[in-house]
Amino acid sequence: MKFKTTFVVLLTVFALALSACGALGGSQPVVLRIGWAGSPDTLNPGAAVLSESYTIFGLVYDAMYQLQLDGSFKLNLAESVAVSDDGLVYTYKIRDGVKFHDGQPLTAEDVVFSYLLYQNTEGYPWMGDYTYYFDTIEATENNEVVITLSEAIPNIDSQLVFLYVLPKHVWENEDAVEFENFAMIGSGPFRMVEYKPNEFVHLAKNNDYFGAVPKIDEAIFQTFESQDALVQAIKTGQVDMITEMPNTAVATLQQDANIEVVTGAPFSPGVTDIIFNQVLPENCPPDDGLCTGHPALLDRNVRLALAHATDKQKIIDVVLLGFGTPGTALLPDGLGIWYNSKIQDYAYDVARANQILDDAGYKDVDGDGVRELPDGSRSLTFRINWPSDSIDSPRIAELLSEMWGQIGVRLEAQALDPDTLTAVCCPAFDFDVIIWGWASDPDPNLLLSVMTTDEIPTGSSETGYSNPAYDELFRQQASELDLNKRREIVWQMQQIAFDDVVYIIPFYAQNVQAYRKDRFKGFVLDQPKVELSDITSLAFVEPVR
Amino acid sequence: MNSASPVGLERIVPLNRYRYLLNKVGWSVFTILFVLVLNFFLFRVLPGDPARALTKDPRMKEAAREALRVRFGLDKPVINCFDSLTPIKLGDCGVNPLETQFFIYIKNLLQGELGISYKTNRAVSEILVERLWNTILLIGAGQILSIFVGIALGVLAAWKARTAIDYGALFTGLVAWSLPTFWLGIIILFWGSSHGFPIGGKATPGIGAYPFLQQAGDIARHMFLPTLAYTIVFMGEYLLVMRSSLLDVLAEDYILTAKAKGLSAFQILKDHALKNAMLPIVTIIAINLGFTVAGAIQIEAVFSWPGLGGAIFEAVESRDYPVLQGAFLLIAVSVILANLIADLTYTYLDPRVQSE
Repeated sequence: MKFKTTFVVLLTVFALALSACGALGGSQPVVLRIGWAGSPDTLNPGAAVLSESYTIFGLVYDAMYQLQLDGSFKLNLAESVAVSDDGLVYTYKIRDGVKFHDGQPLTAEDVVFSYLLYQNTEGYPWMGDYTYYFDTIEATENNEVVITLSEAIPNIDSQLVFLYVLPKHVWENEDAVEFENFAMIGSGPFRMVEYKPNEFVHLAKNNDYFGAVPKIDEAIFQTFESQDALVQAIKTGQVDMITEMPNTAVATLQQDANIEVVTGAPFSPGVTDIIFNQVLPENCPPDDGLCTGHPALLDRNVRLALAHATDKQKIIDVVLLGFGTPGTALLPDGLGIWYNSKIQDYAYDVARANQILDDAGYKDVDGDGVRELPDGSRSLTFRINWPSDSIDSPRIAELLSEMWGQIGVRLEAQALDPDTLTAVCCPAFDFDVIIWGWASDPDPNLLLSVMTTDEIPTGSSETGYSNPAYDELFRQQASELDLNKRREIVWQMQQIAFDDVVYIIPFYAQNVQAYRKDRFKGFVLDQPKVELSDITSLAFVEPVR
Repeated sequence: MNSASPVGLERIVPLNRYRYLLNKVGWSVFTILFVLVLNFFLFRVLPGDPARALTKDPRMKEAAREALRVRFGLDKPVINCFDSLTPIKLGDCGVNPLETQFFIYIKNLLQGELGISYKTNRAVSEILVERLWNTILLIGAGQILSIFVGIALGVLAAWKARTAIDYGALFTGLVAWSLPTFWLGIIILFWGSSHGFPIGGKATPGIGAYPFLQQAGDIARHMFLPTLAYTIVFMGEYLLVMRSSLLDVLAEDYILTAKAKGLSAFQILKDHALKNAMLPIVTIIAINLGFTVAGAIQIEAVFSWPGLGGAIFEAVESRDYPVLQGAFLLIAVSVILANLIADLTYTYLDPRVQSE
């Protein structure tokens, strides 16, 4: 038969092609293959949004500071810094002899060029924030960079840590926003070999690096669209390390003698929050505000009772399979020194929660199992929403429904499209309860600002919380130059927000990663944060001989 | 005069054929134009402000947000009288139509520009072309294999009708066709990874530096599992259609005649039955080829294949409207063109079609 013979021929060709490729011969460089579920959105550091991009930037570029796994900052490109007495002028001495990957020297001129580019390019989404306080930026003849600030700020390190230094000779001829930067000339410990969007990022070590030269020859980040594939890839040895995985896979991988599973606070800490709409009528944004929140949520007693009725450990066990820590403040524990570890969490105590509501006059008048407002006008039925792209939130909502049901509170649960959620959230305040989250800067300023009165009309405040004492402390910490004093204020602010039950923070999720211990060693694992793909690990990883 | 003279017939047929062709081409062009317009408005009535999907984060400063809006042309009115469609905001009807988003979209399309991806800042046409080749490679191989295997098994089943072979093939076809693609993909992924087949991507990173044969071999190894999954799913459809179509033909009177003439079963199949039974298959193949461009979203997602299906998957995840818009347009146009080609092929395979 014609069909059959053709088919057999095709199969034979296919099989031959398959067998033609065994191992790719030759003396092999040491390659660390990293599997991840994402891909950089762009290699243009000004335009990038995704954390995958920042992972690559951290390996290929240098910045003035490097963020450490304990949350502190270390000088990187500069060998020293001098600060004027008024805290307005910073003078950085740039290391001599630093070279870009194309052999050109990196000087103070390049640093100034980069900072000005970040500051002046309007199409860059974040850089305006980081360069907001820079008044002038100048280079001196001694390879120094002098930054003059418009006001003294306590956290210039966190402003500079993501401002990667770009080669002026490459970027001055390019459109700042549209430049795709595939060749990616940097000065960091790794250089770019090849980048295929959504396929892989191929890096090789920079032998001329001024700091520790990596012990591996190459690092390849390969994109896997599905997390199951990611887990299977490390199990079968197609990759040596994975930067994320479903928590359900942890138990299987732990049984594998060749694989080490590691957990810890994520490098870019995040927080999941349960938001209560507590905007007061007088604070309702005049232009955009609808302010339809349930009046009971304005009462601290109700929020306190809900906090006592929330079994955080159960949520962590069910939703994260145990890989999380119970939360107290909006600042996640991954922020290190800024996180107030002294806060004593509300005990899970349903009887006490019921007592609080009873005492405050919320009685179940009509006997339907749901309490009513003290004046009997409305039942304690709250709308609860979450972004529909969240995997964890539906489970959290279900658990809350069950837990809060025990104290006579009913929830009407509904997932919303993220845009719709933003539209009902803030500054419209057209909701009762939302499950959402934040990603955090290394500096606490942003997450602290979320609870200030000033942010209610801007849409940054999700709760509508307003407390003059808190606002005053926020202003103080923003100009307190002494680290310890600032920390004290920041801790105090977290305590105030906790006492007022502005949010319920169910958990801080942990990072879960894994690597092949039969092939590589030297990952940094003894720090508060875990991030195997950060330069703090990749500079020291070496093959197991 | 005899109206059924050969001369008269000859004149009528070509006229009908031209009218038929014109009709089909005309409708195709009209449909494509309709899709162009629909595609534009569809993405502007979707819930959520496109500018918000673009800026992603409420924390973004107003100035930066505005700069992005200008860059993506979202600061202009959608069309005369409407500043935006979600939420509906009425605007000035007297604006220059050429300064509206709709006409800029049409103008850019005519120049082959599909816009810029919100997520990656790259030109959508560049992304789609890059992905299209990968898709054609994978889906092309999968289609060819499934067509051959499916038709061969279908013929075999019909020829051996109501035997164990037939029931076996029928059962296989039904199961294969009804398997959830995603699930089958995962199973094949688990199986293949433990047999040494690569489970992600199109090629080993860095393979570009090796000789061509090694590169081709590497790509073939990467293609093996997704092609297998794709073949199994599509083979079922071809098998079932081929079998039933051939069974119909085998029941025709002229097959009985052939049998009466003493032809062997193989001769009957080869010379009399097969050609006629191929008609429905041609339709299905043409339509499937049209959708080939869409890739196999699920298979590409499971095996991280960098094709169009994967691009659509990622664009949906990150709400990258320009990429989605471009991909939809590409799919729509190729489906319409494939249908047109199928229609035209029909007139040659079965001349009765055009006179309808």
